[in-house]
Amino acid sequence: MKRIAVVLSIMFVASLLIFSGCAKEPTEAIKIGVIGPMSFTQGEGHWNGAVMAAEEINKDGGIKVGGKRMKIELVKADSNEFLSMTDATNAMEKLCTSDKVDFIVGGFRTEAVLAMQDIAMDNKKIFIGCGAADDQLCGRVAADYDRYKYWFRGTPFKSSLLGKTCFIHLATVAGVLKKELGIEKPKVAIVMEKQAWVDKILAAAKVVVPKMGMDVVGVWQPSQTATDVTAELSAIQSAGADIIFTAFSASVGVTFAKQANELKIPAFMVGINVEAQKETFHEATGGMSEGVFTMNTYAKNIRQNELTGPYLDTYQKRYGLMPVYTADTYSAIKYGLIPAIEKAETIESDAVVATLEVMEYLVPSGKIAYEPDHDLKWGPGYLTSLGCQWQNGEFLGVWPNDWVAEEGAEPVTYKGMAPIKIPQALIDKYKK
Amino acid sequence: MIHDIKVLDIIISGLISGSTYAILALGFSLIFGVARIVNIAHTAFYMLAAYVIYSATYKMGIHPIVAMIIAIIVITFLGIICYKFLIEPIREREAAVLIATIALAMVFQESMLLGFGGHYLSVQPLIKGYLAIMGVKIMWQQLLTIIIAVVTLGAVWTWLSKTRTGLAIRSTAQDREVANLMGMDEGKIAVITMGVSVALAAFTGAVVVPLTVLNPFMWLHPLVMMMAAVVLGGMGSLKGSFVGAYILGFTEALVVFLLPGGAYLKVSVALFIMVLVLVIRPEGLYGVYFEEER
Amino acid sequence: MGSLIFYLRKLIKIFRSEVLVLPSRVAVMLFFLFIILFPIIFPDPYYYRVIVLASIFAILAASWDLLSGFTGQMNFGHALFFGVGAYTSAMLNLNLKIPPIASIPLGAVAAVMAGLIIGIPCLRLRGTYLALTTLSFPIILVGMIFAFPGFTGGELGVSGLSRLADSYIGNYYIVTITMLVLVTVMWKITDSNIGIILHAVREDEIAVRTSGVNTTRYKLLAFSLSGFFAGISGGLYAHYMRVAGPSTLEVNTSFLVVIYAIFGGIATIYGPVGAVFVLIPLLEFLRFLEHVRIPDQILSIMPDLLGKFLVKFVEILPNTRMFIFAFFILMILLFMPDGLLPWLRDKVETQCPRCKVRNISRRQTCRICTADLH
Repeated sequence: MKRIAVVLSIMFVASLLIFSGCAKEPTEAIKIGVIGPMSFTQGEGHWNGAVMAAEEINKDGGIKVGGKRMKIELVKADSNEFLSMTDATNAMEKLCTSDKVDFIVGGFRTEAVLAMQDIAMDNKKIFIGCGAADDQLCGRVAADYDRYKYWFRGTPFKSSLLGKTCFIHLATVAGVLKKELGIEKPKVAIVMEKQAWVDKILAAAKVVVPKMGMDVVGVWQPSQTATDVTAELSAIQSAGADIIFTAFSASVGVTFAKQANELKIPAFMVGINVEAQKETFHEATGGMSEGVFTMNTYAKNIRQNELTGPYLDTYQKRYGLMPVYTADTYSAIKYGLIPAIEKAETIESDAVVATLEVMEYLVPSGKIAYEPDHDLKWGPGYLTSLGCQWQNGEFLGVWPNDWVAEEGAEPVTYKGMAPIKIPQALIDKYKK
Repeated sequence: MIHDIKVLDIIISGLISGSTYAILALGFSLIFGVARIVNIAHTAFYMLAAYVIYSATYKMGIHPIVAMIIAIIVITFLGIICYKFLIEPIREREAAVLIATIALAMVFQESMLLGFGGHYLSVQPLIKGYLAIMGVKIMWQQLLTIIIAVVTLGAVWTWLSKTRTGLAIRSTAQDREVANLMGMDEGKIAVITMGVSVALAAFTGAVVVPLTVLNPFMWLHPLVMMMAAVVLGGMGSLKGSFVGAYILGFTEALVVFLLPGGAYLKVSVALFIMVLVLVIRPEGLYGVYFEEER
Repeated sequence: MGSLIFYLRKLIKIFRSEVLVLPSRVAVMLFFLFIILFPIIFPDPYYYRVIVLASIFAILAASWDLLSGFTGQMNFGHALFFGVGAYTSAMLNLNLKIPPIASIPLGAVAAVMAGLIIGIPCLRLRGTYLALTTLSFPIILVGMIFAFPGFTGGELGVSGLSRLADSYIGNYYIVTITMLVLVTVMWKITDSNIGIILHAVREDEIAVRTSGVNTTRYKLLAFSLSGFFAGISGGLYAHYMRVAGPSTLEVNTSFLVVIYAIFGGIATIYGPVGAVFVLIPLLEFLRFLEHVRIPDQILSIMPDLLGKFLVKFVEILPNTRMFIFAFFILMILLFMPDGLLPWLRDKVETQCPRCKVRNISRRQTCRICTADLH
């Protein structure tokens, strides 16, 4: 009993010490909650981006809201959403009602974001989603504007647009194969993990790919966390596929690329592979990253506009890594939320919503404008995203390179594009 | 769309997962048989071994084979410590042991999450490249894994059936009290068995790590499959665990090949088969239907 | 007026002689009071949410105890009932516009069905076989959910359900009162003849059978009852979260239930409830780690290396939440292998060796039969 008392009193004193050190809250501050799975890359991205934005704004003395100087204060909330839905909603409720934040950015897993969205809307807090792609999220805004108007999409595009972009990438790759190897009608194997965001892309692919003049030789749907895909790969090879059209958001992306390269499968991997968007992908695959083409937001060699360079440089200098797309909490805060607050001259949610939805603003990845349902506008001049390819352990931007969005339009090229590289195994298959 | 089915692919794929589950199931049923411990943390040790190998090869630059040996030793040691300090004191309470092992698995998972984050990692194969037989590509590493796994299974089998310690373990598993009465130090045998069991889990980690992707949750899937294998084969029957493991491994492989659009269903189908078997034979394929221990 | 005072006096007398004599009864009373008065003491929606979720999981954990704790039918797949309850009430609510008051019980009925469907084949299994077999059912179901995403919403689940009530307070009281009632009902069941038979099945099934009791029927009854309560908690969860997703069926959920129940002490009903109300708030309390900072004054007097280490340590501190949670469970078990609440109860109460009535431990003699207690 005595020992327990001693331990308890030590803990008590220690906690007193720690709490006494808690930062004193500045009286005039805009509180922004950053919610995400903080033990994972996605959550780290959320937090890093937000910290950078807040520091940059605070360094300049904060912002002026209706004659007052206000600083930004971030509140970190670990949603633990990959493991526990209840944790995610609790974290959100805590942000809204206990920590009393004014705005919220973050969120990743759609199931959790749907639940968190509801809580934020209950509390009339602006919630800029920086991770989940599902169409439903903005569909709710369209269906019940008054309730869901506080939701904005920050990044990425809704999944149907992700699909559209992927088809353009597929067509680009098919064009390259035709030009370089003379493949008139490439055979496409569709390999997509079993997840809801994929369903629409998959359904569309079955229709669109044949229309684009390619043959679909098969559809494979491994689990998102499959650790062995050799079975699928053998089947793909025996089906004679030239292109593998992928949609992966989890570890299967690593497994697939690693094993495909180890087995030297003669096919071009194009599509979405979220793991391949990370700088650590080359290491994660044990050096087997070659040739993987994925949609992405940023690339070392690409400057979409004048903001991209400084952003990428500062981020890399500070965290030693390229930003992942969830780090767009940076643009959401710095270029979206804060200017909107300044313009609205208040931190009152309704006023900020009204300002934000009509704003058009430049961010490091392009230009943001909102659709009526608070979704992101897509297309040349706005956001297009990039196509990036792993070449010799380097992750390079390869698209849009002379991309003509529609007939008669100006071709789009971002600064610094590299050429697309065809995997050696595929070249060998056609040029023996 | 069904393509020409590659028998060889199914065999390789089934053999690999089957052997993995078999070694895991062997260790799991050993410690269950001897000490009546349902060790949920069994596959967590497998996960830990994989991480030890990763950090030894990449962070410290140790040769992969040496790293594997180190991993097996370290994890075995850890397993025995965990057993001594966390399980043994409460061994008489089965329920408490059960959640102690669950909590232990969570502790391991969270430690790895803290140390390495939720990133996916992988280790390079020992032998790079592949072998092409009749147009089917098989990684050397896969062949190596199968060979090592089968050899190990054989070795453990021989050890259990031929040596004195093996005999002691098997007889304790069959009847703890009688074994004790025959003068076997039941506590000591339990420690040895725990060591062997964890070593086998770590060993599985070592042979599988070059083929898989590491993350802190990689223990859950094999855990389920391993338990299913043990139940399917019949608890207490080592032969049953083997057969069960290979049945499940091949079921998974068949589902992946025959239902390309539904590869994610492989676990469901495998477990469904297990349930079917149990409905017909509640004691599992090779299990003996003991009257309840009283 | 006179009779009112009489009854009031009688009530107070009963209260004094029946409730105040035992610390455990006082604790239960305080718990009820605490739950009911909570919104007045802590008027903060975030705290409501914690208590509401704890209540939902308390029902779930107690229902596990009803089945597995009492009958010894180790169920490792309790998430099945929870998930079936959640999905059924969600789909009924969304597709047929059935309000929560009907959809939740209907979901529970579906969970009972699920309990019977898996209960019948599982009756022939026992012990570890049963545990490991039941583990697989929710996993199989998740496979089905992914296979028919049009109907079940796939990995996103079914969302956009109607709320239990429109206000925080309404939600709070609906869930907590349901919890108090259901837990009392469960406790009453275990205290009745059924409960005694279930308990006997666990201790020695053959002996029960030889006494002429149809144990199969009682085991099925336990499966259905447990399924029913778990189904209700699933339905409450779905309507409270307004989404029923595959996470309700995850292995994690099954494991957590087992942890709560055994941590609190099995075959008690109050044990699992108490455990949930300790562990869930603990997990939330640990969020304070996110706000820990080291004061600059302390940092400045520390050696550079130590200071850097401390800063790094504080940075990763918030991520240690689950680690501390699991570690805490391990440590408690080591000292209280029979569970937290029975351990506490044994500290403050002793059982009379003669008449088996419980007494506060500072008493020298039994309060009923005056036998010597020590």
